[in-house]
Amino acid sequence: MATSTAPSGHLCSNSATLDKRAIVAFAARFDPQPYHLDADAAAQSIFGGLCASGWHIAALATRLIGETLLDNGLPFIEMTSVSHLTWSRPSFVNETISVRIALGGSLADSPITGTHSQTLEVDVCNDDGAVVATMTATAAIATDPADGTVS
Amino acid sequence: MTSLYLRDRWFEDLPLGEFHVFGTHTFSELEIVEFAEAFDPRPESTIPEQAASNHRQGLVASPWLITAMWMRKMVDYMEVYAQGVNDGRRNGAGVAINDLQWLEPVRPGHTLTYTYEIIAKPDRVIREKWGLVRSRNEAFNQYRAKVMQFEIDILAERRPENSNNPQQ
Repeated sequence: MATSTAPSGHLCSNSATLDKRAIVAFAARFDPQPYHLDADAAAQSIFGGLCASGWHIAALATRLIGETLLDNGLPFIEMTSVSHLTWSRPSFVNETISVRIALGGSLADSPITGTHSQTLEVDVCNDDGAVVATMTATAAIATDPADGTVS
Repeated sequence: MTSLYLRDRWFEDLPLGEFHVFGTHTFSELEIVEFAEAFDPRPESTIPEQAASNHRQGLVASPWLITAMWMRKMVDYMEVYAQGVNDGRRNGAGVAINDLQWLEPVRPGHTLTYTYEIIAKPDRVIREKWGLVRSRNEAFNQYRAKVMQFEIDILAERRPENSNNPQQ
């Protein structure tokens, strides 16, 4: 398993590659703007090349976050809020992204019954280690019904 | 003065308080499952029988599906009014979101209505040509319960110094 705890105390995810087919398929369905669909149009755009929808990045990052929390003994149920998300640079075709998670505070209160809230500070990075997005999010984590602990 | 279309406007033309009810969508079981297969491929999120005993007591739309559909409805709405402006040159990319909350589960067959309101135009100039437009966005279900909200900052191109025609 590639998931690991970095020396800094961050949880690091596996990586996922954004190939052209996936970028265009997502954009065709949810974000059909030229810079996510067509390489020539994208070259003329503010991004300078065909790149993934920011919502694609957010959804893929959340998949990696959930997998990483589960691998580290936190039974991730669902993302419930994102207090802040910044897209700092575009993700182009065939870039690989991964997430680096710092666990923040934990609260008993959660919008989903049987869960508590875990705050997460997340950096989404590409293969070069450049940050493509940062996110402060809250995830619902299943609370053990046996003892009701908030880990 | 020539009327201004939604997407063919400069930053300076976008008024605070502008409000749109810009789209509705009914979520099918198939699209909920297909999105989960790509972004939350756990049996309790993709297989109806196993979802029945999950924390939501059934299949629900992934949070990012609800938000991605906001984007689709926004693009469709803007294109209707774009009148030939199809490169998004003046209303451009989103740079940040704040206070995104998913408040209620969205189940197969639920219908959401999406709204958008311009709430601020922060005083910033980005790469010498873009301004920032901040909007509050909300989605309501068929019971009129709010299921999602967020604010987003989107780039809008500033009118060039040498232009006095809003349609240029």
